[in-house]
Amino acid sequence: MQHNPRMLLLGQDIGAFGGSYREFEGLYDMYGADRVRDMPVAEAAMVGMGVGAAAAGVRSLVSITYMDFLILALDPLVNYAAKLRYKTAGQLHAPIVVKTTAGAKGQGVAHSQCIESWLMSVPGLKVVAPSNAADAYGLLKSALREEGPVLYIDHKRLFPTAGYVPHTENFIPFGAAHHVRQGEHVSLVSYSYMMSPTLQAADQLEALGITCDVIDLRSLAPLDIGTICTSVRKTRALVTIEEGQLTCGVGAEIAFRVREQVNDIRVRRIGALAAPVSSNPVLEAASIPDADQIVAAVKTMINEEIS
Amino acid sequence: MPDDGLLRDMLLIRTFERHLMARKDHGFQLFSSGEEAVSVGLCAALLPDDQLLCSGRSIGPALARGLEPGLVLSELLGKVTGPCLGRGGRGHLAQPAQGFFGAHAVVGGNLTIAAGVALAFQSEGRSDIVSCMFGDGACGAGALHETLNIAALWRLPLLLVCNNNQYSVSTSRADALAPDKLSDLAAPFGITGVTVDGMDVHAVREAAISLAKEVRSGKGPAFLECVSYRFTPHSTSARESRPREEVEAIRMHCPIDRLSAQMIASGHLDQSRFDGMQREADERVSIAFAFTDAAGFPDPSGVLDHVG
Repeated sequence: MQHNPRMLLLGQDIGAFGGSYREFEGLYDMYGADRVRDMPVAEAAMVGMGVGAAAAGVRSLVSITYMDFLILALDPLVNYAAKLRYKTAGQLHAPIVVKTTAGAKGQGVAHSQCIESWLMSVPGLKVVAPSNAADAYGLLKSALREEGPVLYIDHKRLFPTAGYVPHTENFIPFGAAHHVRQGEHVSLVSYSYMMSPTLQAADQLEALGITCDVIDLRSLAPLDIGTICTSVRKTRALVTIEEGQLTCGVGAEIAFRVREQVNDIRVRRIGALAAPVSSNPVLEAASIPDADQIVAAVKTMINEEIS
Repeated sequence: MPDDGLLRDMLLIRTFERHLMARKDHGFQLFSSGEEAVSVGLCAALLPDDQLLCSGRSIGPALARGLEPGLVLSELLGKVTGPCLGRGGRGHLAQPAQGFFGAHAVVGGNLTIAAGVALAFQSEGRSDIVSCMFGDGACGAGALHETLNIAALWRLPLLLVCNNNQYSVSTSRADALAPDKLSDLAAPFGITGVTVDGMDVHAVREAAISLAKEVRSGKGPAFLECVSYRFTPHSTSARESRPREEVEAIRMHCPIDRLSAQMIASGHLDQSRFDGMQREADERVSIAFAFTDAAGFPDPSGVLDHVG
C-alpha cells in the first residue's frame, strides 16, 4: 500500500478492528478509512466491487473472513475476474487478491472448510496457501504484483504461530514448491497448516528409520508438478496430505499428474473424512488428518513393499 | 436538429438487428429491438470519459454508445476484427477505450462490478460517472440490493438503469417482483428513483440527463427505471411465450415510429428525409456486414492466449 498509493483494502471488520484474526492490524491507522474500507456483510459485493475497481485500474485486496463465505462471492471471482483478460482479449484485467481463511479451529460446519480444490480448476485464477510466516509474506508480495485475480488462503491455526520474516522485500514466485526436507523412502506433499502434522510425521518416521522427502506446495494453481516428480523418481512413493475432501481433491490431481510422468510408483492420499467438520472437538479431530494418520499410512505403504 | 441524432441511433440499432436476424449464421443473440429508446436516451446523457456496463442484451447499448457497427458485428459473429477478437461475443462485448466497459451475461452480475468501477473513479477523484443497464430480471437478485446499499453509503458516482422489458425469459415482471414500481427499490436506501416510459426516447433522455447531473455532482447514485417492450423473444434460441395479440399490441408502441411522428408533426422531418435516414442506416449496416464477412475466425492455436 506504500508502493501503490491507490491500492484499496476492502472487507468486513478490517478497519479500526484490524481483522477478525488481527491480520490487518495497524493498516487503518496508517492508510485511513478511504483506503481501508469496512464493508457490510455482503460478500458478493465485497469481491464484485474489488474486482470492478481493479479492472478500472485500482488494485484491491478483499478480505473474506471465512473461506466458507467465499461461496457467496464466487460469481464475481469465477465468472468475471478470472475470465476478464481472456474475454476482452487483454483490454481489461483484474489485479485483485482475495484473502481468506480456511481450516478447522472449533467453529463448525460452515466455518471450517477447505474448498481450494474447487478453485484450482478455474482458468485465469491463481491459488496460493502459505504454511509459515516467511512464505505468507513472500507470496502476498507476489500476489500484489499479479495482473489477474489471486486467491490467497490463510489457515486459522497458523495465525498465532511465530516465524522469521525477512526485513528486505522478498518475492516468492507462484508455481514454485519448496523442497523442505530431504529423504529417501517416501515423498510427502502438503501445504498450508497440514505441513505441521506432515513434518511431525516425518520426524516420527525418521526415528523408525524411514526418511521422508517433504514438499510444501505453497502454490496450488499453478501447481509445481516438476518438483514433485523429481522427488518421486527418487523415492518411488508418494503421499499427499490435505485438510480438504479427497474427492476431486488436491491429492487426486497431484497423484494423476505425477503418474502421467512417472511410472511404477505407489500413491496414497490423506484428507478429511467425507463428513462436514463439526465444532464438536471430538468429531472435528476425528474428521481431519493428523501426524499419527500420516505415519500409519507411510508405514503401511513401506510394509506392503517389503511383503 | 437535436432529435436527428436520436432517430439515427435508434434506426441504426433496428436496422442492424433486422439484418442480423435475417442471417442463417446469426448464432445465439439477445436483441434490443423495441427497446432502442432506453439505450439511446441513456447514452445521450453520458460523456466520453464515463463508462457504460450492461447485461448480455448488449447490441443496443453498444451501438448507442457509439461503437463502430462493423466491430460490434464482428464480435457478435466471433470474428477476429471484434474488439475482444471475437472471444467475448454478444454476452461479453467490451470496448472500454470507447466508454463501453462491457456486457456481462450473468443476470445482475455487472452491478457490483459497476459499483467497483465507480469506486475506482471516486478514489481517483475523477468527475466521470458509471452507468449500469440491467433488466427487470436482475431486480430480484441480491446483487442489486447489496449494490444499492453500498453505493448509497459511499455516495458512489453510479447511475443504475433498469431496462424493464417486463419479462425474464418467460416469467412476467408481475409474477417475479413484489414492488409496485421497480424504482421504488431505490427509496429505502435514500436513492433518487424515477420511472419513465422507456418507449419515449425524450422521456428517457431527459430523466437520464437530470439524474446523471445529480450523480456527477457527487450526490451519490441514482436509479432510473425505463418501462419498455421487447419486440422479439428473449433470445434467438428461446420460444416466444407471449400471446400473439400481446406481441402485436407491443409492436404498436414502436419508439422509432413515435419519435418520427413527433418530428413530422412539429415540421422537423418529412417522409423523404426519413427515407434518407433509413437508407443511411442500411448503408452503414451493409458496410459493417461486408467488413465482418471479409474477416476470419480466430486461429485455434491462440485458444490459450490471455488466459492468466
